[in-house]
Amino acid sequence: MKRAILLFTAMLVFAVSASAQSLAIGATMENFSLPDGTGKMQTLDGLKGKNGAVIMFVSSQCPVVKAYNERMNAIAADYAARGITFIGINSNVGEIEKTEAKPVGWVKDHIAATYKFTVLFDKGNVLADKLGATTTPEAYFVDAKNVLLYHGAIDNDKSGANITATYLRTAFDSALAGKKIERTSANAFGCTIKRVE
Amino acid sequence: MQSLSRHLIRAVLVAALVVIAFQNGNAQPSGKGKTPVWDGPKVTQIDIDGLRKLLKPNGKPVLINFWATWCDPCREEFPDLVKLDAAYKGKIDFYTVSLDDLADIKTYVPKFLGEQKAEMPAYLLKTPDDNAAIALVSPEWTGNLPLTILLKPDGTTAYLRKGIVKYATITAEIDKLITPEAKP
Repeated sequence: MKRAILLFTAMLVFAVSASAQSLAIGATMENFSLPDGTGKMQTLDGLKGKNGAVIMFVSSQCPVVKAYNERMNAIAADYAARGITFIGINSNVGEIEKTEAKPVGWVKDHIAATYKFTVLFDKGNVLADKLGATTTPEAYFVDAKNVLLYHGAIDNDKSGANITATYLRTAFDSALAGKKIERTSANAFGCTIKRVE
Repeated sequence: MQSLSRHLIRAVLVAALVVIAFQNGNAQPSGKGKTPVWDGPKVTQIDIDGLRKLLKPNGKPVLINFWATWCDPCREEFPDLVKLDAAYKGKIDFYTVSLDDLADIKTYVPKFLGEQKAEMPAYLLKTPDDNAAIALVSPEWTGNLPLTILLKPDGTTAYLRKGIVKYATITAEIDKLITPEAKP
Protein backbone atom coordinates (compact mmCIF):
# COMPACT_ATOMS: atom_id res chain seq x y z
CA MET A 1 0.00 0.00 0.00
CA LYS A 2 2.81 2.35 1.04
CA ARG A 3 4.63 1.57 -2.20
CA ALA A 4 1.47 2.29 -4.19
CA ILE A 5 1.05 5.68 -2.49
CA LEU A 6 4.72 6.50 -3.13
CA LEU A 7 4.40 5.49 -6.77
CA PHE A 8 1.24 7.56 -7.18
CA THR A 9 2.92 10.57 -5.57
CA ALA A 10 5.97 10.19 -7.81
CA MET A 11 3.72 9.97 -10.88
CA LEU A 12 1.82 13.06 -9.77
CA VAL A 13 5.03 15.04 -9.20
CA PHE A 14 6.31 13.90 -12.60
CA ALA A 15 3.05 14.92 -14.28
CA VAL A 16 3.08 18.37 -12.64
CA SER A 17 6.73 19.02 -13.45
CA ALA A 18 6.30 17.69 -17.00
CA SER A 19 3.38 20.02 -17.64
CA ALA A 20 5.39 22.99 -16.36
CA GLN A 21 8.35 22.27 -18.65
CA SER A 22 8.54 23.12 -22.28
CA LEU A 23 8.78 20.33 -24.84
CA ALA A 24 12.49 19.73 -25.43
CA ILE A 25 14.20 20.09 -28.79
CA GLY A 26 14.40 16.64 -30.35
CA ALA A 27 11.33 15.39 -28.47
CA THR A 28 8.29 14.22 -30.40
CA MET A 29 5.14 16.28 -30.17
CA GLU A 30 2.06 14.15 -29.71
CA ASN A 31 -0.69 14.56 -32.26
CA PHE A 32 -3.48 16.81 -30.94
CA SER A 33 -7.03 17.56 -31.93
CA LEU A 34 -8.62 20.99 -31.44
CA PRO A 35 -11.55 22.88 -32.96
CA ASP A 36 -11.12 25.67 -35.49
CA GLY A 37 -13.30 28.81 -35.59
CA THR A 38 -16.18 26.90 -37.19
CA GLY A 39 -16.10 24.18 -34.52
CA LYS A 40 -14.60 21.59 -36.87
CA MET A 41 -12.02 19.39 -35.17
CA GLN A 42 -8.58 19.57 -36.73
CA THR A 43 -5.46 17.60 -35.91
CA LEU A 44 -1.76 18.30 -36.11
CA ASP A 45 -1.27 15.29 -38.37
CA GLY A 46 -4.15 16.38 -40.60
CA LEU A 47 -2.92 19.96 -41.05
CA LYS A 48 0.80 19.29 -41.18
CA GLY A 49 2.62 19.77 -44.47
CA LYS A 50 4.92 17.18 -46.03
CA ASN A 51 7.91 18.84 -44.34
CA GLY A 52 6.33 19.70 -41.04
CA ALA A 53 4.37 22.39 -39.25
CA VAL A 54 4.70 25.41 -37.02
CA ILE A 55 2.47 25.51 -33.98
CA MET A 56 2.21 29.24 -33.33
CA PHE A 57 0.64 30.51 -30.11
CA VAL A 58 -1.26 33.73 -30.85
CA SER A 59 -3.62 36.15 -29.18
CA SER A 60 -6.07 38.61 -30.68
CA GLN A 61 -5.33 41.11 -27.90
CA CYS A 62 -1.56 40.99 -27.59
CA PRO A 63 0.11 44.02 -29.23
CA VAL A 64 3.29 42.03 -29.84
CA VAL A 65 1.33 39.42 -31.80
CA LYS A 66 -0.39 42.22 -33.71
CA ALA A 67 3.04 43.56 -34.68
CA TYR A 68 3.93 40.11 -36.02
CA ASN A 69 0.69 39.19 -37.82
CA GLU A 70 1.78 40.41 -41.27
CA ARG A 71 5.15 38.73 -40.91
CA MET A 72 3.50 35.48 -39.83
CA ASN A 73 1.26 35.52 -42.91
CA ALA A 74 4.23 36.29 -45.15
CA ILE A 75 6.34 33.46 -43.70
CA ALA A 76 3.36 31.08 -43.86
CA ALA A 77 2.81 31.92 -47.53
CA ASP A 78 6.51 31.58 -48.38
CA TYR A 79 6.83 28.13 -46.83
CA ALA A 80 3.40 26.61 -47.55
CA ALA A 81 4.59 25.72 -51.05
CA ARG A 82 7.67 24.11 -49.51
CA GLY A 83 5.62 21.81 -47.30
CA ILE A 84 5.63 23.62 -43.96
CA THR A 85 2.20 24.57 -42.61
CA PHE A 86 1.38 27.23 -40.01
CA ILE A 87 -1.13 26.25 -37.32
CA GLY A 88 -2.21 29.08 -35.04
CA ILE A 89 -3.26 28.20 -31.50
CA ASN A 90 -5.24 30.54 -29.27
CA SER A 91 -5.11 29.36 -25.63
CA ASN A 92 -6.09 32.63 -23.96
CA VAL A 93 -8.92 32.21 -21.48
CA GLY A 94 -10.64 35.51 -22.28
CA GLU A 95 -10.65 34.88 -26.01
CA ILE A 96 -12.53 31.57 -25.89
CA GLU A 97 -16.15 31.07 -24.86
CA LYS A 98 -16.59 29.90 -21.27
CA THR A 99 -19.01 27.14 -22.12
CA GLU A 100 -17.83 25.97 -25.54
CA ALA A 101 -14.48 25.46 -27.24
CA LYS A 102 -15.02 28.28 -29.71
CA PRO A 103 -13.76 31.86 -29.95
CA VAL A 104 -15.73 34.75 -28.54
CA GLY A 105 -17.39 36.73 -31.34
CA TRP A 106 -14.87 39.51 -31.88
CA VAL A 107 -11.94 37.08 -31.73
CA LYS A 108 -13.57 34.92 -34.42
CA ASP A 109 -13.97 37.99 -36.63
CA HIS A 110 -10.45 39.19 -35.91
CA ILE A 111 -8.91 35.84 -36.74
CA ALA A 112 -10.92 35.45 -39.92
CA ALA A 113 -9.84 38.92 -41.03
CA THR A 114 -6.21 38.55 -40.00
CA TYR A 115 -4.72 35.11 -40.58
CA LYS A 116 -4.18 33.28 -43.82
CA PHE A 117 -3.66 30.02 -41.93
CA THR A 118 -5.84 27.90 -39.65
CA VAL A 119 -6.19 28.95 -36.01
CA LEU A 120 -7.37 26.42 -33.44
CA PHE A 121 -8.86 27.05 -30.01
CA ASP A 122 -7.28 25.47 -26.96
CA LYS A 123 -9.98 25.73 -24.31
CA GLY A 124 -8.57 25.29 -20.82
CA ASN A 125 -5.04 25.82 -22.26
CA VAL A 126 -4.53 22.05 -22.34
CA LEU A 127 -2.15 22.08 -25.31
CA ALA A 128 -0.28 25.14 -23.95
CA ASP A 129 0.23 23.25 -20.68
CA LYS A 130 1.34 20.11 -22.46
CA LEU A 131 3.93 21.96 -24.52
CA GLY A 132 4.88 24.39 -21.73
CA ALA A 133 3.99 27.39 -23.90
CA THR A 134 3.87 30.66 -21.93
CA THR A 135 4.14 33.50 -24.40
CA THR A 136 2.49 34.96 -27.48
CA PRO A 137 3.86 34.82 -30.07
CA GLU A 138 5.70 31.55 -29.47
CA ALA A 139 6.57 29.05 -32.22
CA TYR A 140 7.12 25.29 -32.16
CA PHE A 141 8.50 23.97 -35.46
CA VAL A 142 8.17 20.22 -35.93
CA ASP A 143 9.28 18.09 -38.86
CA ALA A 144 7.16 15.55 -40.74
CA LYS A 145 7.57 13.08 -37.88
CA ASN A 146 6.51 15.68 -35.28
CA VAL A 147 10.05 16.01 -33.90
CA LEU A 148 10.61 19.46 -32.42
CA LEU A 149 13.34 21.26 -34.37
CA TYR A 150 12.97 24.87 -33.19
CA HIS A 151 11.14 26.62 -30.36
CA GLY A 152 10.71 30.29 -29.55
CA ALA A 153 10.69 33.67 -31.24
CA ILE A 154 10.01 34.45 -34.89
CA ASP A 155 12.87 36.92 -35.18
CA ASN A 156 14.82 39.32 -32.98
CA ASP A 157 12.82 42.52 -33.47
CA LYS A 158 9.14 42.83 -32.70
CA SER A 159 8.89 46.19 -34.46
CA GLY A 160 10.13 44.56 -37.67
CA ALA A 161 12.30 47.60 -38.45
CA ASN A 162 15.68 46.25 -37.35
CA ILE A 163 15.58 42.49 -37.81
CA THR A 164 19.06 41.01 -37.79
CA ALA A 165 18.17 37.39 -37.00
CA THR A 166 15.27 35.60 -38.68
CA TYR A 167 15.23 32.62 -36.32
CA LEU A 168 12.19 30.84 -37.73
CA ARG A 169 12.98 31.29 -41.45
CA THR A 170 16.58 30.23 -40.79
CA ALA A 171 15.36 27.10 -39.01
CA PHE A 172 13.04 26.30 -41.95
CA ASP A 173 15.78 26.85 -44.52
CA SER A 174 18.25 24.66 -42.64
CA ALA A 175 15.70 21.88 -42.18
CA LEU A 176 14.61 22.02 -45.83
CA ALA A 177 18.24 21.89 -46.95
CA GLY A 178 18.86 18.92 -44.71
CA LYS A 179 21.34 20.92 -42.64
CA LYS A 180 21.75 21.16 -38.88
CA ILE A 181 19.71 24.00 -37.34
CA GLU A 182 22.33 26.14 -35.59
CA ARG A 183 19.94 28.00 -33.33
CA THR A 184 17.22 25.73 -32.01
CA SER A 185 15.65 28.21 -29.57
CA ALA A 186 15.43 31.93 -28.92
CA ASN A 187 13.35 33.99 -26.53
CA ALA A 188 11.77 37.38 -27.03
CA PHE A 189 9.54 39.65 -25.00
CA GLY A 190 5.84 39.00 -25.48
CA CYS A 191 2.48 38.59 -23.77
CA THR A 192 1.70 35.95 -21.18
CA ILE A 193 -0.82 33.31 -22.31
CA LYS A 194 -3.85 33.95 -20.11
CA ARG A 195 -4.63 30.62 -18.50
CA VAL A 196 -7.67 29.37 -16.63
CA GLU A 197 -7.39 29.95 -12.86
CA MET B 1 -17.77 92.16 1.79
CA GLN B 2 -19.64 89.91 -0.66
CA SER B 3 -17.05 90.64 -3.36
CA LEU B 4 -14.23 89.77 -0.93
CA SER B 5 -15.85 86.38 -0.16
CA ARG B 6 -16.23 85.66 -3.87
CA HIS B 7 -12.52 86.43 -4.44
CA LEU B 8 -11.61 84.24 -1.49
CA ILE B 9 -13.69 81.31 -2.78
CA ARG B 10 -12.17 81.68 -6.24
CA ALA B 11 -8.64 81.72 -4.78
CA VAL B 12 -9.36 78.57 -2.75
CA LEU B 13 -10.76 76.80 -5.82
CA VAL B 14 -7.70 77.69 -7.93
CA ALA B 15 -5.37 76.52 -5.14
CA ALA B 16 -7.31 73.25 -4.86
CA LEU B 17 -7.02 72.65 -8.63
CA VAL B 18 -3.26 73.25 -8.49
CA VAL B 19 -2.92 70.76 -5.62
CA ILE B 20 -5.00 68.12 -7.48
CA ALA B 21 -2.88 68.56 -10.63
CA PHE B 22 0.30 68.17 -8.57
CA GLN B 23 -1.00 65.10 -6.77
CA ASN B 24 -1.83 63.41 -10.06
CA GLY B 25 1.90 62.99 -10.63
CA ASN B 26 1.89 65.84 -13.14
CA ALA B 27 0.51 63.31 -15.60
CA GLN B 28 -0.50 66.04 -17.96
CA PRO B 29 0.70 66.43 -21.50
CA SER B 30 3.12 69.29 -21.89
CA GLY B 31 4.21 68.75 -25.48
CA LYS B 32 2.66 70.49 -28.44
CA GLY B 33 3.45 67.88 -31.14
CA LYS B 34 1.33 64.99 -32.27
CA THR B 35 2.75 62.70 -29.57
CA PRO B 36 2.08 64.26 -26.18
CA VAL B 37 4.92 64.36 -23.65
CA TRP B 38 4.04 63.78 -20.01
CA ASP B 39 5.95 65.22 -17.09
CA GLY B 40 5.55 62.04 -15.05
CA PRO B 41 8.21 60.20 -13.04
CA LYS B 42 11.64 60.03 -14.64
CA VAL B 43 12.22 56.89 -16.67
CA THR B 44 15.86 56.05 -17.35
CA GLN B 45 16.93 54.18 -20.46
CA ILE B 46 19.21 51.19 -19.83
CA ASP B 47 20.92 48.64 -22.04
CA ILE B 48 21.99 45.11 -21.10
CA ASP B 49 24.91 46.46 -19.01
CA GLY B 50 22.48 48.64 -17.08
CA LEU B 51 20.27 45.62 -16.52
CA ARG B 52 23.28 43.66 -15.27
CA LYS B 53 23.91 46.42 -12.68
CA LEU B 54 20.29 46.31 -11.49
CA LEU B 55 20.59 42.56 -11.01
CA LYS B 56 23.56 43.07 -8.68
CA PRO B 57 22.27 43.71 -5.13
CA ASN B 58 23.87 46.36 -3.01
CA GLY B 59 23.49 44.82 0.44
CA LYS B 60 19.69 44.59 0.34
CA PRO B 61 17.27 42.23 -1.40
CA VAL B 62 16.37 43.45 -4.88
CA LEU B 63 12.91 43.24 -6.41
CA ILE B 64 12.55 43.88 -10.14
CA ASN B 65 9.30 43.98 -12.08
CA PHE B 66 9.47 43.71 -15.88
CA TRP B 67 6.42 45.22 -17.52
CA ALA B 68 5.06 47.22 -20.47
CA THR B 69 2.18 49.62 -20.94
CA TRP B 70 0.83 47.33 -23.69
CA CYS B 71 0.64 44.39 -21.28
CA ASP B 72 -2.80 44.05 -19.63
CA PRO B 73 -1.76 41.90 -16.64
CA CYS B 74 1.20 44.25 -16.05
CA ARG B 75 -1.14 47.20 -15.69
CA GLU B 76 -3.52 45.13 -13.59
CA GLU B 77 -0.91 44.24 -10.98
CA PHE B 78 0.67 47.71 -10.76
CA PRO B 79 -1.41 49.05 -7.84
CA ASP B 80 -0.15 46.12 -5.75
CA LEU B 81 3.42 46.91 -6.73
CA VAL B 82 2.98 50.52 -5.65
CA LYS B 83 1.56 49.29 -2.34
CA LEU B 84 4.50 46.92 -1.99
CA ASP B 85 6.97 49.72 -2.62
CA ALA B 86 5.40 51.85 0.09
CA ALA B 87 5.44 48.96 2.58
CA TYR B 88 9.09 48.01 1.98
CA LYS B 89 10.68 51.37 1.18
CA GLY B 90 14.27 51.40 2.46
CA LYS B 91 14.16 47.69 3.28
CA ILE B 92 14.61 46.41 -0.26
CA ASP B 93 15.69 47.96 -3.56
CA PHE B 94 12.70 47.86 -5.87
CA TYR B 95 12.99 48.75 -9.57
CA THR B 96 10.61 48.58 -12.49
CA VAL B 97 11.92 47.84 -15.98
CA SER B 98 9.66 48.71 -18.89
CA LEU B 99 9.92 46.84 -22.19
CA ASP B 100 8.02 49.51 -24.06
CA ASP B 101 9.40 51.09 -27.21
CA LEU B 102 12.03 53.75 -26.62
CA ALA B 103 9.65 56.24 -28.26
CA ASP B 104 7.38 55.85 -25.21
CA ILE B 105 10.00 56.78 -22.62
CA LYS B 106 8.69 60.33 -22.32
CA THR B 107 5.08 59.62 -23.16
CA TYR B 108 3.02 56.58 -22.22
CA VAL B 109 5.44 55.09 -19.71
CA PRO B 110 5.73 58.16 -17.39
CA LYS B 111 2.02 58.86 -17.94
CA PHE B 112 1.08 55.44 -16.60
CA LEU B 113 3.60 55.61 -13.74
CA GLY B 114 2.29 59.06 -12.82
CA GLU B 115 -1.29 57.83 -12.82
CA GLN B 116 -0.25 54.97 -10.54
CA LYS B 117 1.72 57.35 -8.28
CA ALA B 118 4.67 54.96 -8.65
CA GLU B 119 7.77 56.14 -6.84
CA MET B 120 10.17 53.22 -7.38
CA PRO B 121 13.08 53.93 -9.73
CA ALA B 122 11.82 53.31 -13.26
CA TYR B 123 13.88 52.09 -16.20
CA LEU B 124 13.21 51.25 -19.83
CA LEU B 125 15.31 48.49 -21.34
CA LYS B 126 16.42 49.01 -24.92
CA THR B 127 18.38 46.09 -26.29
CA PRO B 128 18.97 44.74 -29.78
CA ASP B 129 18.92 41.22 -28.34
CA ASP B 130 15.87 40.31 -26.23
CA ASN B 131 17.17 36.78 -25.90
CA ALA B 132 20.39 37.84 -24.14
CA ALA B 133 18.49 40.09 -21.70
CA ILE B 134 15.96 37.36 -20.91
CA ALA B 135 18.73 34.81 -20.32
CA LEU B 136 20.56 37.27 -18.06
CA VAL B 137 17.53 37.61 -15.80
CA SER B 138 16.70 33.90 -15.48
CA PRO B 139 17.01 30.67 -17.45
CA GLU B 140 13.41 30.00 -16.37
CA TRP B 141 12.09 33.02 -18.25
CA THR B 142 10.95 32.90 -21.87
CA GLY B 143 10.19 36.62 -22.13
CA ASN B 144 6.49 36.73 -21.24
CA LEU B 145 5.35 39.77 -19.30
CA PRO B 146 4.95 40.57 -16.49
CA LEU B 147 7.85 38.99 -14.67
CA THR B 148 8.83 39.75 -11.10
CA ILE B 149 12.08 38.55 -9.63
CA LEU B 150 13.26 38.80 -6.03
CA LEU B 151 16.99 38.52 -5.47
CA LYS B 152 18.72 37.74 -2.20
CA PRO B 153 21.48 40.14 -1.12
CA ASP B 154 24.00 37.65 -2.57
CA GLY B 155 22.36 37.97 -6.01
CA THR B 156 20.77 34.54 -6.16
CA THR B 157 17.09 34.22 -6.98
CA ALA B 158 14.78 33.95 -3.98
CA TYR B 159 11.51 34.04 -5.93
CA LEU B 160 10.41 34.39 -9.53
CA ARG B 161 6.88 34.96 -10.72
CA LYS B 162 5.80 34.80 -14.35
CA GLY B 163 2.43 36.52 -14.55
CA ILE B 164 0.58 38.62 -11.96
CA VAL B 165 2.14 38.59 -8.50
CA LYS B 166 0.00 37.70 -5.53
CA TYR B 167 0.55 40.35 -2.87
CA ALA B 168 0.48 37.90 0.06
CA THR B 169 2.96 35.58 -1.65
CA ILE B 170 5.49 38.22 -2.60
CA THR B 171 5.40 39.89 0.83
CA ALA B 172 5.93 36.48 2.49
CA GLU B 173 8.94 35.90 0.23
CA ILE B 174 10.39 39.34 1.00
CA ASP B 175 9.80 38.84 4.73
CA LYS B 176 12.00 35.73 4.61
CA LEU B 177 14.90 37.93 3.44
CA ILE B 178 14.66 40.83 5.84
CA THR B 179 15.16 41.06 9.59
CA PRO B 180 12.03 40.74 11.77
CA GLU B 181 12.40 44.37 12.88
CA ALA B 182 12.37 45.53 9.27
CA LYS B 183 9.07 43.85 8.44
CA PRO B 184 6.21 46.28 7.84
